[in-house]
Formats: sequence, C-alpha cells, structure tokens
Amino acid sequence: MKKILLTLLLASPLAWAEQDHANMHDHSHEGHLHDTMVDGKNLDVSAERFDAFMNELTNVNVAVVSVKGMVCDFCARGIAKTFEKDKTVQKIDVDLDNGKVLIAYSKSKDINYSEIEKKILSNGQSMSDLQILEI
Amino acid sequence: MGIYKIIILVFLMVFNADARPISYSGGTTIMYKSDTFNDSIYLHYSPTYKYSIGLERVKNKFYKNTENYFRFTYLVNRKNTDISQRNLYFQSGVLVDDADGFFYGMHGDWETRRWFSGFGYKDTKNTFGQDYTDQYIQLGVAPYVGDYGDLHTWIMIKTKKNSLTNTQSTYPELKFFKGPTLVKFGYSDKTEWDLHLMYRF
Repeated sequence: MKKILLTLLLASPLAWAEQDHANMHDHSHEGHLHDTMVDGKNLDVSAERFDAFMNELTNVNVAVVSVKGMVCDFCARGIAKTFEKDKTVQKIDVDLDNGKVLIAYSKSKDINYSEIEKKILSNGQSMSDLQILEI
Repeated sequence: MGIYKIIILVFLMVFNADARPISYSGGTTIMYKSDTFNDSIYLHYSPTYKYSIGLERVKNKFYKNTENYFRFTYLVNRKNTDISQRNLYFQSGVLVDDADGFFYGMHGDWETRRWFSGFGYKDTKNTFGQDYTDQYIQLGVAPYVGDYGDLHTWIMIKTKKNSLTNTQSTYPELKFFKGPTLVKFGYSDKTEWDLHLMYRF
C-alpha cells in the first residue's frame, strides 16, 4: 500500500517537482505552493498562480525574485521587457501583490544572483531576495 | 513661496513620490498634455532609469505661440521599499532656437499600490521677458488594486497654480492605465480641462 501511495505521489508533477527541491520543505499547501524554504524564508507565491505559470512549461528552473519598489504596472513592465530579451527565459510572471517576479529559465541556464540583481537595478528597482526552484 | 508651501513640498519630498517622467532603461515615451495654458507633445527616451532626454513642442495659449524645447530629466533620488516607491526628479528644458528661453524645476512622487502623492514646481524664463512659475500638488487613491496587465484606475485631486495667469484651481482627476497606455483627465470650472495621454514603448 505504501508503495502504491508513493508511486502516486511521484506520478504527480507537483510532487515530482518537490522531490527535486533539495533545499525546500515539501509540505504545506494551504494557499501557497510551499510556505517555507529550508532557510526559513517565505516563498509567498500562491499555488494557483504558480500552477498557472508552470502550465505547459517543461525542462525549466524557476527564479522567484523579490523586488522592492515594484508598486505599479509601469514599473514592472520594464522588468518584464528586460528579462524577455534573454533567450533562455521561457516565461515571466509579475506578481504585484507580493512584489515577486517569476522567471522560468531553460534548464541549461546557470541562474546567477548578480546577473538578475543587475537587471532589476537597471530598471530602477532593487532585488531583496532570490529563490531558485529546480523543477 | 510661502512657508506652508515649503513645508508641504518638503513633506512630500521626504515622505512621498508621480507619473514616471523617466521610463525604464531603453524605454521611449510619447505624451500629449493639454490644459488651459498649454498644449504639448513630448517625446522622450531613457538610456537608463536615471535620466531621460527628449523634445517637446508646446503651443502656449497665453502668448499664442509655439515653442520647441530640448528636455532633460534626471532622477535625483529614489527610495524603493517592499510596498512603496519615492522619487525626486530634476526637470529642465531649453528652447531649440533660443537659449534665453528655458525652464527648470523639481517634481516628486510617492506611491504604494493604493496611495499616490506628487508635487511639481517649474520656473520658466521665457523670451517675452515675463518669468513665471507652475506649481501643483496631487493626491490619489486606487479604488481597487489591480494585478499586472489589468486596467488600473486612480481617483485623484490636484491643486495647481500658475503665476502668469494668476490662477489657482483644485479639481478632481481620473487616471486610467493599462499596459503601456495611460489616460488622465481632470476638470475645473476655473481652468477647464486638464488632459494627459501617454504611451510607452
């Protein structure tokens, strides 16, 4: 019975993704995909939003960027435009409510903190945190 | 300028930030503004988020003439927090064909996703030998907080004063923006329509 349950769990794309998140707790889906990372930081991305973002995406890693000063649509538009120029970026989503930008990079991309920080800064906002979800 | 105005300006500079006179890096903006004093079309380009350069064609209704300005706007200070952004800008312009005609000033804004405040002060030295100032203060609230890509709406109140026409008016404004397009309009029985259209690309 345990084997069946485990198999079902692994068959779910979400659960499968979590198995690869070596740096995350794989629990708590009460409105959020993962409430707390191993380092104690909150991810604050709604499960619904994340699922919609991940729809039809495969073979990607996701950077969840916390941005300060992203208070309006115009501010965020520049960020989206900047990252869209990167050919390894498959998809971008801006979550104004939580001040997050979700960026899906091709697996081949080595996601770099300072590169993302520089791009955010070049638009006049500042990055306060970066979390990488290996999916 | 009275002490109360100075206090208000300082308050807004310290605690508060307007529509973006500088775009994101590499962004181009075209604006149309119309009020009782001027009609203008302004095109600017922002090489970085720190400054923009542009050309403005202004039809002055008071002098019944048309002038072209080279414009430069510089972001003097910005403070980003998780929930707000505050900006202070220096603005300037010089007539394309006569360096004796120019303007300079400061404007600033502070906004969260719900609240907005802004101010502006501009001193114009024109070629008619009459210098004048424009000042405004603006406060706004978003009746709902939209997500990225939604239609965003702001209900605002603006007080403005022009020393040449010696008019001061306070009136409501509505601001809508969606994607790269912004429309703002207000109406006062003293100064009539105040219209602002903007497209960013």
